[in-house]
Amino acid sequence: MAATEAPGRAAPGGRAGAGRLRPRRRSAADRRDARAGLALTAPAVLLVGVFALFPLGFGVYISLTNWPLVGAYHFVGLSNYTGLIHNSVFLQSILFTLKYTAIVTIPIFVVGYALAVFVRSNRRGTTLFRTLIFLPYIVGLVAESFMAVVELQPSSGTANFVLSRLHLVTDTTAWTVHTGLATTAICILVIWFASGLTMMLLMAGMQGIPTDIYESARVDGASWWSAERRITLPLLRRSIALSLIISVVGSFLAFNQFFIITDGGPGTSTESVVMSIFQTAFADTDVGLASAMSVVLVIVVGLITFIQFHYLQRDTD
Amino acid sequence: MRRAGYLSIVAVGAAATLALGACSSSGGSSGSSSSPKTFGVNATGTVHFWARQATDGPAKALVKEFNATHKKLKVVLHLTPPNDDTSQLATAIRAGSPPDVVGLNDIDVPTFSHENALMDLTQYVNALPYKSALSPGHLRLATIGSKYYGVPYLADLSVLWYNKKLFSEAGLNPNDPPTNYAEIMTDAKKISALGHGIYGFSFAGNCQGCLGFTMLPSLWANGVHMISGALGNQTANVASDAPLKTMLADYRTLWANKEVPVNDQTQNGLTWGADFEAGKVGILPGDYGFATAMKDPSEFADAPLPGVTGSSYSTFDGGDDFVIPAGASNPSGAWEFIKWVLEPAQQVQYPSLGDTPIRTDILTPSFAAKNPYDAVALKALAKGSVEYTLAYDAVYNEPGSPWFKMFEDAVYSGNLSAGISEGQSGIQSTLQQVKS
Repeated sequence: MAATEAPGRAAPGGRAGAGRLRPRRRSAADRRDARAGLALTAPAVLLVGVFALFPLGFGVYISLTNWPLVGAYHFVGLSNYTGLIHNSVFLQSILFTLKYTAIVTIPIFVVGYALAVFVRSNRRGTTLFRTLIFLPYIVGLVAESFMAVVELQPSSGTANFVLSRLHLVTDTTAWTVHTGLATTAICILVIWFASGLTMMLLMAGMQGIPTDIYESARVDGASWWSAERRITLPLLRRSIALSLIISVVGSFLAFNQFFIITDGGPGTSTESVVMSIFQTAFADTDVGLASAMSVVLVIVVGLITFIQFHYLQRDTD
Repeated sequence: MRRAGYLSIVAVGAAATLALGACSSSGGSSGSSSSPKTFGVNATGTVHFWARQATDGPAKALVKEFNATHKKLKVVLHLTPPNDDTSQLATAIRAGSPPDVVGLNDIDVPTFSHENALMDLTQYVNALPYKSALSPGHLRLATIGSKYYGVPYLADLSVLWYNKKLFSEAGLNPNDPPTNYAEIMTDAKKISALGHGIYGFSFAGNCQGCLGFTMLPSLWANGVHMISGALGNQTANVASDAPLKTMLADYRTLWANKEVPVNDQTQNGLTWGADFEAGKVGILPGDYGFATAMKDPSEFADAPLPGVTGSSYSTFDGGDDFVIPAGASNPSGAWEFIKWVLEPAQQVQYPSLGDTPIRTDILTPSFAAKNPYDAVALKALAKGSVEYTLAYDAVYNEPGSPWFKMFEDAVYSGNLSAGISEGQSGIQSTLQQVKS
């Protein structure tokens, strides 16, 4: 490789140096490399094209029609989109999902970070703790949501049994049919469920920081808190950004826990955006409108992810 | 996160399936021109039968028996999961590879028949010698004008369960179940007075479908339907529905007086009937299917769901219709299987499988003696009904449905007038949105 490298290609000088170079002719080895690169990435590109881009494009097409669950359809232009502006159920579901995302994101991060600090060293027993903390994520939100339904029952659930003895609620509190209580319960469940993943991501990042940096800081008299603030946090930016992106996108696409625990109720007060799309497509049998809602969701999630990536890029440059 | 990945995969898969379906022909409505004398006779090959998991008892048992007795025609059973049966069928139809026969929730049949997605079975249904004995409500849902796009398959009916032991302890006649809501209120009060965790009444208060299943028949028994008019021009009759007001007020009284378990407010149907089966509840409007758990006939009995007033009764014609999707590859085999299932020898097996026969002529003295619980349900079948609309799910079954909102307002919040008023406008608005 070294024999074929052009000066500009490997130059560490960046743009200034590259600007002075004359365009060079590609060598046979370059062309071979390019072909190999294409061949190696082709399967992934093909998969993304067939299973992501084409369906996405087709989804956009459906959103421009009155596509029912079965039967004929016709083109309706942008009416599905303009109708969304006045669709109170959809707007309410977006607002609720935003609130839910805002509520759970920071606690998931803080708890996940604290747990990562707790288990990042290789002391005796940490493997057991890591496993126990990660277990809720492995078990899955569906099973845990069904467990929550049982434990939140008035009179018979564990939640009321414990909390009523602390005089926080009564024994007959019906968690799943009151908007505030149900949302609180679901947020606690999700924080418990997702903190393990954040812990794993941050712990992996923490273990990648060279220990000699901490040793130097200690020699210089840095406290634990100071080392955490000035060394760990800055060097962990990529992991933090990744965990936040995963958490925010996951919260935006929340479905299972609301579907199982509250079914969107009471009324539609705990209906997430994805649940609203599901109901529109399969209960109202209006796949065209549901596709328009999905396209809007894709754009919103894409924008949020783009902004997060933008800040990540800026902070790590 | 994993759920995000899961949903992405589902979304991509569904979109891809729809995309592929759009590329292939979806097939139109195809009425078969074969004579009833030859159609469904000595068919060969394989029949792909889709049944709902919710009513899988008869499907599993009868497919096994059919395959054991028919060597030239094989039925392959596929069970569709709850909440997914219509979307799976729609996807298969769009993809141009529908099953040969489907046990479709009868409430969903109009959605498919009005889109020309089902085979016209009129001449074959008319040729059935027992056509007049088929459940009128189930057949009505498969009818457009004078054409039949399905035939009744099984009945999943609502009845009024009561605990004879608790009736006796409360000084009530255990052989005299309530025949209207006034009697229900009186009996429930006496049974609740027994105390010790005993309740007079119970309902699935967070299960929209269960409430419609058990409450609407009491309105129908009084000759009132909440939705009326021809499809495309339907109206809601809520504000002027006197029996509905009485019934909601009675439910409110039962709730406010704590004559129902507090868990009823969160009962979403998953453990519906468990408190009754445990002997803690006196009266439960419920599903005939609970019968499989009623081990002691001297303790539990069922009666027809009474009207709000008077002494009439009705039932919700729930259950399934057989339909043959347009474009099915073996419709003749499907019809042969359907006819076999509808024969008395198979129909009498239904009670032990958790469902009710779909033919009223199955109710004979010997059937009643052998199946006392189901005899009550089958008797009610002749007076059963449904709300005929394309908007049933949107009006009744969805979590935020106007029906359920009205129930919550009236029963839990005690705001009957506001509930009724909101119910009228909400149901009317939903009917217009779905263009029923």
